[in-house]
Amino acid sequence: PMKGRFPIRRTLEYLQKGEVVFKNSVKIMTVNYNTHGDLSEGARKFVFFNIPQIQYKNPWVQIMMFKNMTPSPFLRFYLGDGEQVLVDVEGKDYKEITQHVKKILGKSDKVLEAEALAKMELSNPANFGPKKYFLRECMSEVEGQVPHPGFVPLPKEMTGKYRAKLAAVSDD
Amino acid sequence: MSVKQASVHAKWIIGRVIGTKMKKTTKVRVTRLVLDPYLLKFYNKRKTYFAHDALEQCSVGDVVLLKALLERRSKHVKHELSEIVYKVGQLVDPLTGKKVAGCQFLEPLTESTKNTDVSLTTKLEQLNITASASPPSS
Repeated sequence: PMKGRFPIRRTLEYLQKGEVVFKNSVKIMTVNYNTHGDLSEGARKFVFFNIPQIQYKNPWVQIMMFKNMTPSPFLRFYLGDGEQVLVDVEGKDYKEITQHVKKILGKSDKVLEAEALAKMELSNPANFGPKKYFLRECMSEVEGQVPHPGFVPLPKEMTGKYRAKLAAVSDD
Repeated sequence: MSVKQASVHAKWIIGRVIGTKMKKTTKVRVTRLVLDPYLLKFYNKRKTYFAHDALEQCSVGDVVLLKALLERRSKHVKHELSEIVYKVGQLVDPLTGKKVAGCQFLEPLTESTKNTDVSLTTKLEQLNITASASPPSS
């Protein structure tokens, strides 16, 4: 088993399941919370569970955590045009916080689906080429097609020398 | 290119002030969360930036918001001070607007008690007046 308190947070599957994808205008996210006290319990859980997911999905957003600076916990977002968004988090549950943040500054499901579609359209699985860009390099890699004679010897009827011999015999 | 592009990738940055010993320049440490590829855990990776502030108003330990300059000011200075987010020793709670230190408020949340006493007595007098004036409902 994995080491740590909730090691599921450190799995790729958990990170990829992050819901919040920020809009392009969000540049910085700041979380102020307290280590003790019931009011910032939700904020602490948010930082513990959801910050890895958010940072994984938004690698270009700078996220900073500040502990025990103010008595009340809050989130602060700095957008690209100098605008700031303050979100009060006192007493809220961590799931409520993620839903709220997703509603304010997250890309909606429709936008995400459209982006995924556009990305899929760029790469056509029917094309062949180098492994870096395409799925397969040669038709022989597909199951059910004639494999390369380097790996499996061809049946006698398909070899060039047998066919040449047959043609010579039939001519005579 | 008709639109002038900023010469740096990061347009807005937040960090802590480390040093102010240079003239009109502050040294700011910026931490970003970087994923360790094997442990799959995020760790703070530090980077220092130099920022220009004309009024030299930062002290060591402030949290500061920097904006990217359009052109590099000098070899290392590519950002300028946009605003001091949290000034060390003079923190202001953004939700209430009161001065704060650690987990306690320095200013009292409600107004001072003397004023409330005065207003309470005046309010009671007003109530007496209205009680005597209003006739009993039949």
